[in-house]
Amino acid sequence: MNTFFYQLKRSPLAILGILIIFIWILIAIFGPSLMYYTHTHIDSEHQMVKPGVNRHLLGTDALGRDLLSRIVYGSRSILTVALLTSIVSTFLGIIFGFTAGYFGGRLDSLFLQTMNILMAIPPLVLSMVVLGILGDSTIFSLTLIVSITFIPATARVSRGVLLTEKNQEYVSAAHIRGESHLYVMFIEILPNTIGPIIVEATARFAYSIMMVASLGFLGVGLQPPTPDWGMMVIENKEIMTQAPWAILFPALAIASLVIAISIFSDFVSKVLIHE
Amino acid sequence: MSRIVIFIFSKLGSLLATLVIMSFIIFMLVELMPGDVAQMILGQSATEEAVSALREARGLNEPILKRYALWIKGVVFGDLGESIYMQGVAINSILWRRVGHSLILALTAFLMFVPLSLFFGVLAGVKEHKLSDSIISFFGLATMALPEFVSGVFLISIFALKLKWFPIVSVIPIGESLLSNLNIVLLPAFSITFVMFGYVSRMQRSSMIQVMHSDYIRAATLKGMPRSYVIFRHALKNALLPSITIIGMNMGWLFGGLVVVETLFGFPGMGTLLMSAIKTRDVPLIEACVLLITVIFSLSTVATDLLYSALNPKIRLTGGQR
Repeated sequence: MNTFFYQLKRSPLAILGILIIFIWILIAIFGPSLMYYTHTHIDSEHQMVKPGVNRHLLGTDALGRDLLSRIVYGSRSILTVALLTSIVSTFLGIIFGFTAGYFGGRLDSLFLQTMNILMAIPPLVLSMVVLGILGDSTIFSLTLIVSITFIPATARVSRGVLLTEKNQEYVSAAHIRGESHLYVMFIEILPNTIGPIIVEATARFAYSIMMVASLGFLGVGLQPPTPDWGMMVIENKEIMTQAPWAILFPALAIASLVIAISIFSDFVSKVLIHE
Repeated sequence: MSRIVIFIFSKLGSLLATLVIMSFIIFMLVELMPGDVAQMILGQSATEEAVSALREARGLNEPILKRYALWIKGVVFGDLGESIYMQGVAINSILWRRVGHSLILALTAFLMFVPLSLFFGVLAGVKEHKLSDSIISFFGLATMALPEFVSGVFLISIFALKLKWFPIVSVIPIGESLLSNLNIVLLPAFSITFVMFGYVSRMQRSSMIQVMHSDYIRAATLKGMPRSYVIFRHALKNALLPSITIIGMNMGWLFGGLVVVETLFGFPGMGTLLMSAIKTRDVPLIEACVLLITVIFSLSTVATDLLYSALNPKIRLTGGQR
């Protein structure tokens, strides 16, 4: 932890990234209650108005909905889903990767075969097809499906680090003591492999944001009236020539959040791997 | 040689298994979920009898396993079946044109991002920790993080709205081919280039740095060779290798990116076809698109492995798995 702060002091870019993430989290938590308009309010007198008109700080879209409030509400859903996804996919990855790597043999080859099948389709295409067929995505289905498409990546990392630890002496010592498999896996090995797993989890967070935004953009993400950043981009594409701000602001919101998280995950991997 | 043949056959075998399992899962999913194509065609107000009559006419009332078996049999003989939503149009007659469009788009993107990212990656690696390195690295990190449609939106607002160099949407005029309208490809391809640039240039940078710090480069430099000779003749050969894998591994993202970019620009490719097939629950069309994406994607992965092992004799194709 000390090295973490030491490295942080020397990296202004990482501080900026963490600051932006922090601001978005604050916005997601407190923002909606501070808004003048709600995200569903339709101001039919002021459709596609420029930023600043009639208290619409970022302007309105084709229906006259306030863009600022839709972006602020939208930050809630995207952060929630992305955070859940990175946690769930890392968690499932640890369970599958550890079980396969620890027991080896047939279980391991079955695992590798299944992962090959999952990896044969690009993750975005896979989740798009499944979510599209399931229809009416909820936070639950979105998290579940995106997590499943991420399992090959997370499980392979977990399996890989487990294999490097498996033959260490402390593991055989634990076996000789008569500890159970579960104990050896999660109490003995897991703490020693947590570094790479955390690196993978933070990288997953950035991927999740990209993925959730892209799925929203493709129209298979969270359904209206929940405002979704990706969906706002495609909705407002038609009015792009009249009201470019309606598409630019949601795009900027995605860009700022995702770049900040990537900077952060890049920093985390540098710190943990140099340790 | 025989090792390579065995490798290719084992890969093709697992591809075949994948295709069978995947297509079956998609068939089942569509079957189990509410809403069906007959209802979609007739609209919500259609009577129960009309819907079931249409289902009967399109053969949707047969048991699912029988339909699946029939479909598989057709695919084996190269017949991808008929689109249910589009009044029984043969999928073969619409799909391949779209696939061609997507491949042209992917190829254009490929031709743009590979030289660009390799060049800037090598440059950043050679100038490690200098200003040009910091700029390239940050730009790579930023573009890598942006989803294709976000960078696409920025590109549209600059090049299509402000400068008016390219059209906002990629529509091919009726009766003309894509090849005579290549300007509509450039902006979508550039959006894909953005994301890929980040991945490849960063990988290229780190492998370049690693090679530049190795003993044999130091020896060459100490021998008094000109720096450009050391970089181009000695370092590049080894430093370019990892990038090949990275480019191959990211083909998956490229395909996902295609769907997104095609939707943003309304580009008439495979991605938009798949999107509309999903929205109309047109099973044969969904299956055809997914099948094709999987095949192209898997073949490109196999090709990457082969190329990598051909370039690097140290890597063996078999026996690598623990």
